[in-house]
Amino acid sequence: MESQIQQIHQQLVDKSISCVTLIQERLDALQKNTHHTVNSLLSEFALEKAAKVDAKIENGETIGLLEGIPFGIKDVIMLQGTYATSSSNLLKPYKSAYTATAIQKLLDAGAIPIVKENCDSFGHGSSSENTVFGAVKNAINPELVAGGSSGGSAVNVAKDYTVFSIGGDTGGSVRQPAGYNRVYGLKPTYGRVSRYGIMAYASSTDCVGPIAKTVEDIRIILNTMSGQDTKDQTTYQSQHIEKERIQSTSNAKTVGYFKNFIESEAIDPQIKDEFLETIEKIKAKGITVKELDFFDSDILVSTYYTLAMAETASNLSRLDGTNYGDRIEDKNLKESYAITRSEKFSEETKRRIVGGNQVLSQGFSDEIYLKGLALRDAISENFEKDFENLDIIISPVTPNIPPKIGDSLKDPLAMYLSDAYTVGFSLGQLPTLAVPQGTQTGLQITAAKNNDELVLKFANFLKDTI
Amino acid sequence: MSKIMTVDILSSIKGAEPSEAVNKLFEVIKHAQATNNTPFNNNHDSVSLDNLRADEIVESSALEKQIIKDNFPKEKNGYLVVSKVIDA
Repeated sequence: MESQIQQIHQQLVDKSISCVTLIQERLDALQKNTHHTVNSLLSEFALEKAAKVDAKIENGETIGLLEGIPFGIKDVIMLQGTYATSSSNLLKPYKSAYTATAIQKLLDAGAIPIVKENCDSFGHGSSSENTVFGAVKNAINPELVAGGSSGGSAVNVAKDYTVFSIGGDTGGSVRQPAGYNRVYGLKPTYGRVSRYGIMAYASSTDCVGPIAKTVEDIRIILNTMSGQDTKDQTTYQSQHIEKERIQSTSNAKTVGYFKNFIESEAIDPQIKDEFLETIEKIKAKGITVKELDFFDSDILVSTYYTLAMAETASNLSRLDGTNYGDRIEDKNLKESYAITRSEKFSEETKRRIVGGNQVLSQGFSDEIYLKGLALRDAISENFEKDFENLDIIISPVTPNIPPKIGDSLKDPLAMYLSDAYTVGFSLGQLPTLAVPQGTQTGLQITAAKNNDELVLKFANFLKDTI
Repeated sequence: MSKIMTVDILSSIKGAEPSEAVNKLFEVIKHAQATNNTPFNNNHDSVSLDNLRADEIVESSALEKQIIKDNFPKEKNGYLVVSKVIDA
């Protein structure tokens, strides 16, 4: 498939469509959609910007590649003056006071945000059911979940309501919904894209990432959003990824996969078979494929959730109804905090805050939290050793197909375990792309830290190979 | 006053109790073997002292200030109202 961004850009330049018409069509489609992808539409803001793009074209001025391209923003990312609810009751009336760095860079390039997208509240979920705006329905089968937490964003891209969407990925929240809705979703190397302006869930693995329909679109958006930012001191200066450098011919000589992921009893037999067929196709191209040993899925999931809950308990302690959000008054300050948080947070968010405070409390922190940190170090070291002898690691995105709407909320442990294949790469802070090929919920392509370019190149190779 | 703080107090969530599903995750951690039991060896996210951002006050825009005020949950006679802080 050709780049959607390039295609629409050409239509705007050729005047075969006006930017106002383009934006209005997408807004109408979003308005009418029944997948619960929309938390708020940015109609006035977007149409005003579109009129300016049309005026520029009319005046014979050159427009940039992203100018006039409609995109969506997960509702945990800030855009000044617009709602940022995090799909929660607590922040339902909250408006962003400032704009996230990644979004500002897209605005500077002329892209037009048209929608704040439904997601799991504060990123807490893998199904986009933990939301006060209604469970997001899968783009392919609306009886199934969209995945999460960036479910609304993935569905909007899959249904062509947005050309691309910007999600947040802490433990798989871009990749898993991308897999469930058969689009591309990238978790860049941690620190490549600024986290300034994304509501913090687990700061040590939070990443802002693009969802789109082509590898080329992912490249364009990634290049636009990347870069060092003084407002997020974990960012680093990365190199621009040139289009020519990610063309189809793979320079990956050795590819690995985690044997225990595939031999697990928890994997769906069809996903397993499809994955192994893909491995054979890669081998047939002369690439060496190695089986790798890795940590058990339950250790990966437990390590991730232990650290993520500890961090979210700390990050969400600021949400008490004092300075913003929906406050409930009580007899004194402490009671006001407690009643506000008790009634305005969802059950899943409360579960994670409580879990986080458990692991950080005296008597538990050494046994659980510090051990979790040690395990994360061991996981990172494992990756570093693997990438001394490998170029790429591939993996299914999920062990199973998307569950039916309603099933995940009944069984939180099963939902946590469904993240088994995505959380390890988050703990390793590695660049990982979900691609809509290889299994019915896609494949993940991972490279060493800061080698996002190789990930995109291998995705182009796979597109032509399988 | 007891020095033991239960999770409901730590979390400021009334009636909060540890979850069975989450406790199962913690059990896995307790029994896991980390090859390296000394954390913080791989602190890749630390910032060099030479690379810290300038410690200076940046004035917010008028729009930002206005949105912050608009977001405040309660206002009375031009003042932003907070709960009573003093306990009995």
